[in-house]
Amino acid sequence: MIDILFFGPVAERAKTRQIRLDYREGLRWQDVRDTLQTRHPEAFEIVSIVAVNGQRVGEQDTASLPDGAEVVFMSAFSGG
Amino acid sequence: MNPLTNDAVRLQLEDFSLDAEVSALRAHSKRIGGIATFLGCTRDFSEARAVREITFEAYHAMALAELINLREEAMLRFGLIDARIIHRLGTVQAGENIVLIVAGAEHRAPAFDACRWLIDELKARAPIWKKEITPQGESWVTPHP
Repeated sequence: MIDILFFGPVAERAKTRQIRLDYREGLRWQDVRDTLQTRHPEAFEIVSIVAVNGQRVGEQDTASLPDGAEVVFMSAFSGG
Repeated sequence: MNPLTNDAVRLQLEDFSLDAEVSALRAHSKRIGGIATFLGCTRDFSEARAVREITFEAYHAMALAELINLREEAMLRFGLIDARIIHRLGTVQAGENIVLIVAGAEHRAPAFDACRWLIDELKARAPIWKKEITPQGESWVTPHP
């Protein structure tokens, strides 16, 4: 399984905090995004930061996700 | 110990004491000659609206890891003797404390510089979001300098 987490304004727009997707070999975080973007377009409008297992990733990071990975789609931070 | 804490770097629901944190830093070493602090507080007015309270939400594991990394980076970058970073989560009433940075160095300049750098980097790197609660409703805050 792949766990997808949403926080703050992204969670509010997605109307959920967690989604689980079936794992398949070769799945990349970009594939997860493409799948979820169509389901939650309003949430993904404000997504600008992505983390896989607690590490920020970018478009250049194309490694396959391991089974059990945690993928988080986040909006710009506003702490402090 | 609260599971979100690791002493010098903490995410916590409850308020903190500036005096207690400065004392803890001073107890670390008598080589400290300058201590700079940044205390972020909840304003009761923002974007032309009254603000009653702010709710903070974090991606806990990553936020805590980022704050620990920030402290370690600041220690090396500015030659600090010690530093403490505390950020509250949950609901914070107007006028209450949000975040505290304490930086201790042999001299004032690196302490001031580290304090400014730490709060700027925290805002950019720690996955924390805030929502303002006003009499007119609630809204997530868009980051600003």
